[in-house]
Amino acid sequence: MSEIKIPIGPQHPALKEPESFSLTLEGERIIDAEVKLGYNHRGIEKACESRNYIQDIYLIERICGICSHSHSTCFVQAVEEIAGVEISARAQFIRTIVAELERIHSHLLWLGVAGHEVGFDTLFMYAWRDREAVLDILALISGNRVNYGINTLGGVRRDIDKEQSRKILEIIKQLTERTEYYIKVATNEPTFSGRLSGVGKLSTEKAKELGAVGPTARASSIERDVRRDDPYGAYAQIPFKVITDNHADVLGRTIVRVFELLESYKMLKYLVQNMPEGALTVKVPRRIPAGEAISRYEAPRGEDIHYVRANGTEMPERVKVRAPTLANLAAIREMLRGGFLADFPIVIAAIDPCFSCTDRAIQLVKDNGAETVDWRQLRDYSIDWHKKRGIDLSRI
Amino acid sequence: MANEEIIKSLEAKLAGAVYNIISPRERRIFAETTVQKLVEVTRLLKEWGMINVGAVTGMDGGDKFEVMYHFNDARGLLLNLKVFIPREDPKVPSVVSIFPGAFLYEYELMDLLGIKVEGTPPGRRYPLPDSWPEGQYPLRKDWKGLATETEVKIDE
Amino acid sequence: MEIVWTLLYMLVFPGFLFLTTYGMICEWVDRKLYARFQSRLGPPWFQPEADFIKLLSKEEIIPEAANPVMFRLLPLFALASVLTAFLYLPIWNTAAIYSFSGDLIVVFYLLTIPTLTFFLAGWHSTSLFATLGSVRNVTQLFAYEVPLLISLLGPALLSGSWSLSEMNQFFVERPILLLVNIIGFFVALIAVQGKLERVPFDIPEAETEIVAGSFTEFSGKLLGIFRLAIDLELVVAATLISVVFLGGSFGLHPVLGFILFIVKTLLIVAILALFRTVMARIRIEQMMKFCWRYLAPISLFQLLINILVKAWFL
Repeated sequence: MSEIKIPIGPQHPALKEPESFSLTLEGERIIDAEVKLGYNHRGIEKACESRNYIQDIYLIERICGICSHSHSTCFVQAVEEIAGVEISARAQFIRTIVAELERIHSHLLWLGVAGHEVGFDTLFMYAWRDREAVLDILALISGNRVNYGINTLGGVRRDIDKEQSRKILEIIKQLTERTEYYIKVATNEPTFSGRLSGVGKLSTEKAKELGAVGPTARASSIERDVRRDDPYGAYAQIPFKVITDNHADVLGRTIVRVFELLESYKMLKYLVQNMPEGALTVKVPRRIPAGEAISRYEAPRGEDIHYVRANGTEMPERVKVRAPTLANLAAIREMLRGGFLADFPIVIAAIDPCFSCTDRAIQLVKDNGAETVDWRQLRDYSIDWHKKRGIDLSRI
Repeated sequence: MANEEIIKSLEAKLAGAVYNIISPRERRIFAETTVQKLVEVTRLLKEWGMINVGAVTGMDGGDKFEVMYHFNDARGLLLNLKVFIPREDPKVPSVVSIFPGAFLYEYELMDLLGIKVEGTPPGRRYPLPDSWPEGQYPLRKDWKGLATETEVKIDE
Repeated sequence: MEIVWTLLYMLVFPGFLFLTTYGMICEWVDRKLYARFQSRLGPPWFQPEADFIKLLSKEEIIPEAANPVMFRLLPLFALASVLTAFLYLPIWNTAAIYSFSGDLIVVFYLLTIPTLTFFLAGWHSTSLFATLGSVRNVTQLFAYEVPLLISLLGPALLSGSWSLSEMNQFFVERPILLLVNIIGFFVALIAVQGKLERVPFDIPEAETEIVAGSFTEFSGKLLGIFRLAIDLELVVAATLISVVFLGGSFGLHPVLGFILFIVKTLLIVAILALFRTVMARIRIEQMMKFCWRYLAPISLFQLLINILVKAWFL
C-alpha cells in the first residue's frame, strides 16, 4: 500500500479537545506525524493584563477544567512571592488537600479515557464511577466540582471542618481498594496490557531532550517532580515517594499514574490527620509592589510554570503560563513515529492532554416557568428517580 | 549547594558573558545576557547542568522587548536568562539546536510578539490560526484587538 | 397455496418480521447486560426500536464521490443474505424450513456476504476512514473465517452430514456426543465475536481510531438497514452455534423447542456480551497472530479428536 495522509482532528472521536494531527501512513503504520495546535487559544495571557489580581485568579482557574486548582495555585503563589506574603500553615494544607484531590480525580479520569481509547469501555465506566466520589468531596469542600475557587491572594476562601475530613478519609479508604483492583487489571488483563506495552516509546534521552514533564517523563525513568524538587504548599512537610517506571511506553505511563494515585491517598491521609490550626487568610495589598516571580507547580499532567511581573498597580504587567501539555507535545511526534494507526489514540491520550469539563447546574422548565436546581437537589432527584424504578444508586 | 555557591559556580562557568546575576530566593536565579552571546551562553548552561528549556517568555517593555528563557536543571533549580532586544528590529537566534524541545515556545514568540527567531525549524504556526493577518501581534502593549471586520478563517 | 406459505415463512415467521423483532430484543439484551456488567443502568427495552425508527427518519447523505447505486444497494444485500441464511436453520424442531445436503456451507457463505458488503460499502464511500475500515474488514475476515469454518466442520464430520437439519437430528439422538465438541464450541464463540465485529475484535469500526470504519459516510435509512443486518447477524450466528454445538431444540414439542431456542440464543448473546465487557480492543496484527497461531490450531485439534472418536466409537 502506498503512503496516505489522513487528517485526525480538529474534530475526531479520539480527541476530546480540538487539536489537529496529520498522519502519514504506510498501511497501518505511521511514518510521520504533523501537529497543529492553537484551536483553543483564548488570549488569556493578554486578558490578564487588563484585569486586577483577584479577577485574574478566576480567569486563570478557567484555563483548564481539570487542572483548575493547579493553575490558580501556581498564579497565586507567584503573586504572593512578589508581595512578600507568607500564608498560614493551615491555608497551605487546605491548598495541598485540594491539589491532591484534584490529582486523584484527574488520574482516575485519565484511566477511564485510556480504557476508552483502546476500546475497554468497562474500565472507563468503572474509573469514572469512582471519580464521582472524588468530585463529590471536592463539591463538599469547595461547593464546586471542577472550578473550585478555593484560592485567594493570601490564603484560601473556605475551611475544611471535622465532618469533611472524616468524609475524605472514608472515601480514600474505598478508593484505595478500587485502585489496587485497577492495578491488577492493568497488569493482568492480556488484551489491555497487550495494547499498552511497547506502544509510544520515548527513551530517557529523548524525553530529557524534548523537555517532557510529569508522568510522561517519570515513565521514562526521569525522576523529576516539582513537589519534591522545588517544594511548595505543604509538600516540604509531608512524606511521599516520587513514582518512576522504566517501561518508557504507555504501560509505564499507566503504572506511574496508578501508583501516584496510591501515593496521593497516603498523602491525603497524612494531610487531613495533621492539619495545623491557623487563620485562613492573611492580608495582601490591592496594589502589588513592582517585581517578578516565577512559580512552579506539579499539576496532574506535569510541571506547570507561571511567570508574573508586577508593575506596582492593581493589574499585572505580564502573566505567562506554560501548561504541562505544551511541554509534552514536543515529544508526541517522537512517540507516534513508527507506531500503528491503532495506537494513535492511546499515545495521544497517554500524555493526558487537558480536557474540558461541563457545567452541571441545569434549568428545569416546568409548566409555570423555569426553576433552577442545585447540585444536591439534582443528585437526590436522580437517586429517587432510579429508586422508583427499582435500582438503588445511593450507595454507589 | 547553597545559593551563593551556585552563583559563584555560574559566574566561573560563564566568565563575563552574563551579568546582573541575582537570586531572590532558593532555587531561583535571574541573569541577563546579550543577543550576540545567547546561543553560546545557552550551550555553556547545558554543559553546566541545565537539562531543558521550561518556557520562553516574551514581554513588551516599551522601546525594548524582553525575552526570558527559563532553564531547568535536574534538582529543581530554575535559571531565568533575560535578553533585551530593540523594538524596531526584534530578532533572537534560535536555541533549538541546543534544546530541541524549545521550538514551540519560539513559535509563540513569533506569533504573539512578532519577534523573529532565526534558525527555528519550519512548521505550522502556533498558536494563532493560519489566516491571521500580517503584522498583528496580540501581546504587544499597543495592540488593541483586530478591527471587527477582519475575517479570520478557521484552519483546515 | 405453496407460494402463500413461502411468503409467510419469508416475511412473517421465521423470516423478516420475527427475525427483526428478535434481533432487536437480542440487541437490547446485549446492551443491557453490557451496561449492567459495567454498573450502568442500560437502555430501556424499546431502545433498539427507537434507534432504528430514528435512523429511518433521518436524512440520507450520499457523498459526491461515492457510487450512489452501490451505496443504496449494499445495505439491502447485507440484510437479504442474513435473512436467507436464517431460513436454513432449524428453530423449533430439528428440521429447517428449507434444507438440503450441504446447507451448512451455504449458511456459512451467506454469513460472509454481510462482511463483504461492509467492505464494498467502505470502499465505495471513498472517504479515508471508510477505506481504512474496509481494508480492516477484509483483513479481519481472513483471520476468523478459517477457525470458524474448521470448528463447524468438527460436528459435521462426526455426524457424517453437511446438512444442518441432519446434523441436529444426529446430535439429538446421541446428545452425549455434544460433549466431544466442547473445544470447537469455544473456538466458534470467539470467531463469531470476530465475525460480528465486537470488542475485542471491533477493529474495523474502532471508534477512537477510524471514526466508524466502513460506515463513516452512511446515514439515515441506509445506516439503519446496516445496523439491522448486524442485529440479525447476531441472531443467525447465535442460532447456528446453538444448532451445531448445543443440540438446538432437542427434538422436543415445537413449543418447548421454541423456548429452548430462545434460551440458548440468549445464553450465547450473554456470553458474547461478557466477552466484550472484560476485554480491550486488540490491534489488527495482534488479531491475525491470535487467530492463526492459537485459534486455527486449536480448531484443527478438535477436528483430530472428532476423527478419532468417529473411527473408534461410531
